[in-house]
Amino acid sequence: MNEKELEIAENIKGMLSKNLRIPEEELDFEVPLFGDGIGLDSVDSLEIISCIDSAYGVAMTGVAKEHFYNITSLTKYVVANM
Amino acid sequence: MNKQINTRCVVTGLGLISAIGNTVDECWMNALAGKTGIDEVKSVNTADCYANLGAEVSCDNLDDLDEAKNVDRVSKLCLKASNEALKDAGLVIDETNAGRVGVIMGSCVGGVVSIENYIDNGEATEDINKMTIASIANHVANFAGAKGIITNVGNACAAGSISIAYACELIRAGVADAFIVGGADAFASVPFSGFLALHALSEQACSPFNHSNGITLGEGSGAIIVESYEHAAKRNAKIYCDVLSAGISSDAHHITAPRPDGLGQMYAIRTAIEKSGIEPKDISYVNAHGTGTAKNDEAEFLSLHTIFDETNDDLSVSSTKAMVGHCLGAAGAIEAVFAIKALTENKIPPTIGYSDEDKAVLAEKAGKIDFMPNEMKEKELNYVMSNSFAFGGSNASIIFSKKAGNVNETENDEKIYITGMGIVSTLGNGVDNYIAKINAGEQVSENSVSANVGKEDYDKYGIKMAFYRKLDKFSLMQVISGLEALESAGVSITDENAEELGMIIGTGDGPVTTVYEFQENISENGTIAGSAFNFPNTVYNAAGGYLSIKTGMRGYNVTVTNGSQSGMSSICYAYNEIRQNRAKFMLATGTDENSRVMDKLYGQLGLVTDEKKDAYSDGNGFVLADGSTTIALESESSAAAHDAKKYAEVVGYAMTHEVVPYGEIVGSDKGLMNAILDAVGMAEIGLDQVDAIYGFANGLKDIDDIEKNVYGELFGGNVPVHNVRDYVGEARAAASTLSVAHAALTLSGDLDKTQKAYYVTADSVKTDNVDTSEYKYVIATAYAMGGSYSAVVLKKAQ
Repeated sequence: MNEKELEIAENIKGMLSKNLRIPEEELDFEVPLFGDGIGLDSVDSLEIISCIDSAYGVAMTGVAKEHFYNITSLTKYVVANM
Repeated sequence: MNKQINTRCVVTGLGLISAIGNTVDECWMNALAGKTGIDEVKSVNTADCYANLGAEVSCDNLDDLDEAKNVDRVSKLCLKASNEALKDAGLVIDETNAGRVGVIMGSCVGGVVSIENYIDNGEATEDINKMTIASIANHVANFAGAKGIITNVGNACAAGSISIAYACELIRAGVADAFIVGGADAFASVPFSGFLALHALSEQACSPFNHSNGITLGEGSGAIIVESYEHAAKRNAKIYCDVLSAGISSDAHHITAPRPDGLGQMYAIRTAIEKSGIEPKDISYVNAHGTGTAKNDEAEFLSLHTIFDETNDDLSVSSTKAMVGHCLGAAGAIEAVFAIKALTENKIPPTIGYSDEDKAVLAEKAGKIDFMPNEMKEKELNYVMSNSFAFGGSNASIIFSKKAGNVNETENDEKIYITGMGIVSTLGNGVDNYIAKINAGEQVSENSVSANVGKEDYDKYGIKMAFYRKLDKFSLMQVISGLEALESAGVSITDENAEELGMIIGTGDGPVTTVYEFQENISENGTIAGSAFNFPNTVYNAAGGYLSIKTGMRGYNVTVTNGSQSGMSSICYAYNEIRQNRAKFMLATGTDENSRVMDKLYGQLGLVTDEKKDAYSDGNGFVLADGSTTIALESESSAAAHDAKKYAEVVGYAMTHEVVPYGEIVGSDKGLMNAILDAVGMAEIGLDQVDAIYGFANGLKDIDDIEKNVYGELFGGNVPVHNVRDYVGEARAAASTLSVAHAALTLSGDLDKTQKAYYVTADSVKTDNVDTSEYKYVIATAYAMGGSYSAVVLKKAQ
């Protein structure tokens, strides 16, 4: 990741920790967020969409699942659509 | 041994206010005509929101009643409907019958309009006491003069239906003759923003069983007078119909979504049918939950088809939410009124909003069930059902009948024991910890204290991060104390017993902290900024829902809320479920949270002490605290089946009320006295057999004086009084349940036999260390701001 991506990734990590009460120590940029990873569900994905929209103006409603896979994929989607 | 309960419960009065009318007649005529109450929202700022429709009440005389002048909008709506129902019933409440007339009201968000008003408009102290659900039934009781059992049901969108069911259970238990029941919710920013965040609001008017693309929120209140047939007949009341029976269950699946397999819904519906002594073919009309979300409508289609398709060739189903919107905690009550009107007039209101194309699609999904698109119809009805399903996985189904029916309700005469408990308190978590701390003489010393729940608890009960991170502290405390109670009772949940295990959650303030914080966010950032993550925790029954999900308990699951005493009235409620064979095993709890928000609100009310003082020392405030206590109750045969430890036997209970201004710290000696006398009466003992009292004194003089006066008068200052709030602080409902747990631990010999006690009269206080080893009967008492009291009598287990 470049500097900008790192900053966004850190920001998303902080948001996941604060808004979805995921302990920071459980989060790195690669850990899968859904399924057997952190175990997020559809309600959590709504929160993620809302936070990313409000922080970066990037709309992720209806976006394919793979972009929600981990913090890295979310970051890449945000960077590509900012 | 089971004996048949033959008590008939009948409906004698109806009241209704909704977006399609301000009286029963107006609403009914408009419902039959298929008139919608859905329009652009006026009371909530919908700027930038993808949906802007709602079904708001338009009424210019909501403030006419004196009682309605300075209350939250939810209570105004409820008072309006209750007044109409009382007048319709011609029920006169006076000193001769007031103690046998109660009020049970359902609500989802309670006084959330006052939370918004508090935050947005200068944090006025007068808003604070309007914030909780608890205020609603108290205002109705005070208006009506009812002094019986007063409480509220907090089971979100099933609350209105459950309130009717609970009233009938209490009438059949013989502890009340009549109730004003129902539900109310006001249109407000928190639910609008929350459902918006969940993408559960429809852009167009909701279209249940049709496009199913979301709900349209509504507001209103339904009120019903339910009486024993004898009580109604004696006063020559007009009788609309009988209330047969009800089924109440929990999905144990998801905090917001219904089980896709409909299992919980079907258990509730089947229980209602079986307990009503009828068969699926007898039901002619179902007023469906029918919210218009895809998940609800799919699950409900499945449930209705599964239960009725084989035997019922003439079933009509409609959702009146298409006209009045989803009125949340009022929905079950409003829909019960519609169902009763349908039954008594043989006319079924439609589900509106279908085009010809929609009708063709519906015909394919409907099979032989008539989902009543657009047009009402006339049809001879004998039995009708109203279904309500809610956040937290809460399900309720209730049946009304033209005929007396042959209700299959029974009473189990077995002894009922406390066989387990769980404690989360400011002294730490776990029963063993509590015993050790009490025996060591520990107690809280600061003026505002909180229990802690954390990794040690999660590890102990195998709670994974994916689960616990969803819960707010209110729910976390409840889940931990509930799991400990199950573990200590030695009960494992299996597919075979899951429906026989239930819980009654008691709370005074519920999730007010989470609601407040949700509102703070949207007040600052707009309705569009609501948190989908936090919204599910704004409903009062979230804690019970999570406990059900974590344990798999799929039986009876109700949250009651009426101040601190809710933690003791939950025990009364749970006891009655076992007595009336609705459950083999029940958890009864009290849970309340301290937080930045609660500390601020109680502090502003001037109730938090500057310095901790013992009970009965004329203090000016209490130690604000929190916690969760859960006790496990089961019948003798159930306890014997798994060789459970018996901490104590529950032999009597009572819940009473005296009319006092809501929100003021004024008690009523008479209310407490009646609770003690009634509970002792049920236990069939004399006052002279009461060996000790586990009281509710918290250091606030006005509250402590109630006990001094009453214990002095009834017991002459000669019976020792123990107070758990000395140890853990004013943990409200948690402390009320803890009083009973502490008493049980004393009777079982788990606590040291020498304990500190008070001897009090109106003008004297003595303390002493007493030997508790010879206690046989003890009574625990509880109080709620607003004039409600409860009492539970325990007997040393044999």
